[in-house]
Amino acid sequence: MSKTYEYVPEPALVKGNHDFKDITAMITDINIRPTPKGWYVAFGIANMLLLLLLGSIGYLVWEGTGIWGLNSPVGWGWAIINFVWWVGIGHAGTLISAILFLFRQGWRTAINRFAEAMTIFAVMCAGIFPAIHVGRIWVVYWMFPLPNQMLMWPNFNSPLLWDVFAVSTYFTVSLLFWYVGLVPDLATVRDRIKSKIGKMAYGVFALGWRGSNRHWWNYEKSYMILAGLATPLVLSVHTIVSFDFAVSIIPGWHTTIFPPYFVAGAVFSGFAMVLSLMIICRKIYGLEDIMTIDHMEKMNIVVLVTGTMVGFAYIMEQFIAWYSGVEYEKFIFMMRAAGPYAWAYWIMFACNVFSPQFFWSKKLRRNVTFTFIISIIVNIGMWFERFVITVTSLSTDFLPSSWGYYSPTIWDVATYVGTFGLFFTFFLLFLRFLPMVAVAELKGVMPQADPHNYDEDGEFVPPKVEVPEPYKNQTNQ
Amino acid sequence: MASTSPKITDSLQFPDNLDVTKTFYGFGAVGLIASGVGYFLNAEQFFFSYLTSFAFFTSIGLASLILLMIHHITRSSWGVVIRRIPEAFASNLWIWSIFIIPILLGMHSLYHWTHADYVAQDPILAGKTAYLNTPFFVIRQFIYFGIWGFLGYKLHKISVDMDKTNDWGLMELLKKLSAPGILIFAITIAFASFDWLMSLDPHWFSTMFGIYYFAMSFQALFPILILIIFWMHKKGILENTIQKSHIYDLGAWFFGFTIFYAYIAFSQFLLIYYANIPEETLWFYHRLEGSWAYVSYSLIICRFAIPFIVLLNRDTKHNHKVLISVSILVIAMHIIELYWIVMPTLHHHGVSISWLDFTTLIGLGGIFMGLFFQRLKKHKLVPVNDPNLPDSLHKTYHQ
Amino acid sequence: MDKKHSDKTIYGILAEFKNPRELTDASKTIVESGYRNFDTFSPFPIHGIDKAMNLNKSKLGWIVAGHGLLGLLGGVALIYFTMVVDYPMNISGKSLINVPAWIPVLFELTVLLSAFGAVFGMFFLNGLPKFNHPLFDSENFKKATDDGFFVCIESEDPQFEEEKVSKFLKDAGATNIETIYEE
Repeated sequence: MSKTYEYVPEPALVKGNHDFKDITAMITDINIRPTPKGWYVAFGIANMLLLLLLGSIGYLVWEGTGIWGLNSPVGWGWAIINFVWWVGIGHAGTLISAILFLFRQGWRTAINRFAEAMTIFAVMCAGIFPAIHVGRIWVVYWMFPLPNQMLMWPNFNSPLLWDVFAVSTYFTVSLLFWYVGLVPDLATVRDRIKSKIGKMAYGVFALGWRGSNRHWWNYEKSYMILAGLATPLVLSVHTIVSFDFAVSIIPGWHTTIFPPYFVAGAVFSGFAMVLSLMIICRKIYGLEDIMTIDHMEKMNIVVLVTGTMVGFAYIMEQFIAWYSGVEYEKFIFMMRAAGPYAWAYWIMFACNVFSPQFFWSKKLRRNVTFTFIISIIVNIGMWFERFVITVTSLSTDFLPSSWGYYSPTIWDVATYVGTFGLFFTFFLLFLRFLPMVAVAELKGVMPQADPHNYDEDGEFVPPKVEVPEPYKNQTNQ
Repeated sequence: MASTSPKITDSLQFPDNLDVTKTFYGFGAVGLIASGVGYFLNAEQFFFSYLTSFAFFTSIGLASLILLMIHHITRSSWGVVIRRIPEAFASNLWIWSIFIIPILLGMHSLYHWTHADYVAQDPILAGKTAYLNTPFFVIRQFIYFGIWGFLGYKLHKISVDMDKTNDWGLMELLKKLSAPGILIFAITIAFASFDWLMSLDPHWFSTMFGIYYFAMSFQALFPILILIIFWMHKKGILENTIQKSHIYDLGAWFFGFTIFYAYIAFSQFLLIYYANIPEETLWFYHRLEGSWAYVSYSLIICRFAIPFIVLLNRDTKHNHKVLISVSILVIAMHIIELYWIVMPTLHHHGVSISWLDFTTLIGLGGIFMGLFFQRLKKHKLVPVNDPNLPDSLHKTYHQ
Repeated sequence: MDKKHSDKTIYGILAEFKNPRELTDASKTIVESGYRNFDTFSPFPIHGIDKAMNLNKSKLGWIVAGHGLLGLLGGVALIYFTMVVDYPMNISGKSLINVPAWIPVLFELTVLLSAFGAVFGMFFLNGLPKFNHPLFDSENFKKATDDGFFVCIESEDPQFEEEKVSKFLKDAGATNIETIYEE
């Protein structure tokens, strides 16, 4: 071989020379310290956006869905786009937590808490749309199998009902998963905080956790099982979201690749969102030693892989649409790439397929600013993906006489922007009051946590990797 | 590690007195000759049986290849001790490519779209001729096997080179090869599955079919690895190196990808069943007709339900007898599922088993396994200089 | 020993160890010496301490399986009742018992109930929530959620004798040995 390569050892999960005490302090002090001024500013802005959301919803309830840009034939607009977009973002949290846990990827510990919180708030934002789009929001309980005055039941053969079960199950399980992870850390804050009210509040939610190894034993088992349950759950939720489209016979929606394609897209946008948030938070809260550049690089690889998978699905869709020989399929895919919404299609393609390709370069993968920009671009692209899927197929359907162009109204935009208010209001509360990194788990993956890394006298001996000198001109052995 | 790093205590050389290669080649030769005779008796049946067997063994090579690439890209340590097995499978893909030739020769029997008169009457098929035509089909096979053969050969070669040179830098090279490799692999396996299997019914289409073929193959790889390891242990090979925890891990992957397979297969079925569009539904309709229906139901039970329930329990992954039985069951179901995909094209109204189904399986299987053992024998049974080897030997999980 | 405590019952002896390795080794010694009612405390789960402490396999798996089955069967009952018995309706020509279309909801209900089993079952097995515990009286014990590694041998143990246990723990390398009293 003419070219030689340098071996790069696996980087440490925690940078710098920290012991357990430092880690505890670094993370939980954020909750114990007085609130910084900047936080109030951010919280104020988020609250204003939240008011915008509440106002938009209020007007919607008062006036009806006519305030949105929906028309015939485009009966599904921004509401479903935003729903799918937020749910998709909500998938990275559980994915990072559960799948990476099952695959024993230690690097998840730096970001899992964070990502799970993001999941919960993103699913809350998502859940708003199906609830408000029904028009008569006061009978929204008809979505659930509850006895009602019509003596009717919801249709269990309908993917829209599957959605109700999928999203609510996902929200509940994610919340439980998050909370189980939080309990030991809440106990840590309880034991460190000085204020009486704080002690009380954290104490109640810590449930009297005292770090007993008899408890840890069941706890680890529980966490393992939850991870095992959450992994297929993540797949199922976005699969069911894709079924909303794919079980229909609308060209461009009815295609069998939708389930894995939606899941890949969800992971893709979710990781991008975690990256955006992580890059800001690690800077502001000085957690660069915990959320390291190596973590960012690993996440960028996931973004690259899933982005490419999404690209694979785009190509497959185009190919099979042609291969199928079905004229409506062929037509709709031609309209996507060259019709009235071609601009959206190519924004989607550029953002989702081309932009992550920069991450083939190690240099760019490790560049914080660049990663931040790409992570935003990816989320824009993923919003457009849902836009393209929803709108193109509806606007030019089977009957040319009813074709129409769809544009959103100011209320569509206001509702969407408002959901950011909801998201950031909760997210800021999370940053302020809850440990944003899983302290106990992070300690558990540090080399100091492994009993094997101590010598006979109880002194810590860090594990060393020595790269061997290659044998020269030796063919045997 | 402060504690002494674990050492390999087993012999790393495949025992000389164990001459399985010849036995397998013998079986292979007999099987192929018998199938050759079958060709003259019933050419059409021969080609369909051959295609089924070919799709089965190729899928194992391909699944090994993707497993290796995933392994390198994630730098996993769990599988280092068993890595030579998939490496040996994947490294033979370039030799294996000669076995596509009978399919190329039998295209006219296998694929309707090769009949010009038939295509001329059918506007839908006529629209597909840009893709479904004989020269392009042949060229594509060269491209697929060129890519797979290169990747498989290279990944094995670099890995054995590391045994000799102890140059850890080669780990980076493996990674650099695997990253684009996965991407190219995904595209090629999808189109290969369209070519070999989906175009048997040229009207039918499913965007997910490539993923479906991958999911099937990947699920079946783990039981194969498990069986090979048990066989090796029985012969006293790597008894202390491949430990309980590694087999447990394989069992866990087996379990996980059983669920993944079910998810993909079910999604494909549900979407087609629910929408009920004639051009799509027909494919499943044929497979729920006559005795094919029993095969369809047995797939749900034997390929998903039984392995799922059995492997759900942690203890069964340590119970060798149970693990072996489930492994054999799933491998058999993989063959049956491929049979179920291929054969209804020939036997519309019901299952009709031919002796050629067995001879082609034995023939190709003998050659495939013979090649495998020949490759495995030549090199050390464990990548001895892998940086992650100590970690892999160290595994003791309590979960 | 404090005077004010002298008339209270003893809960156990708490002792601190330096690091995970010492805690694991101490657990082994404690088990070998025949103590049964003891517990160890650490800020994170320690790999391999379950063996050192001779812990039984967790029963949680069975609780989860039971809940999962309940979710599945409950889901079947719910759907069957609503779609087949109470209000049967022909939907897109599919049979009333439309199993493929039921699977998504059945799956979700199974997972939901299993997750309840995993979380609440774990808290149940651990006897949580328990807001008040004798160990919380120890100021030093607050380190157990930060960087402290503790052992507590409880007075319920048949071999328990205050002096003997203190000495035993001291010999095992413990520091900060203190007696914990019941409320």
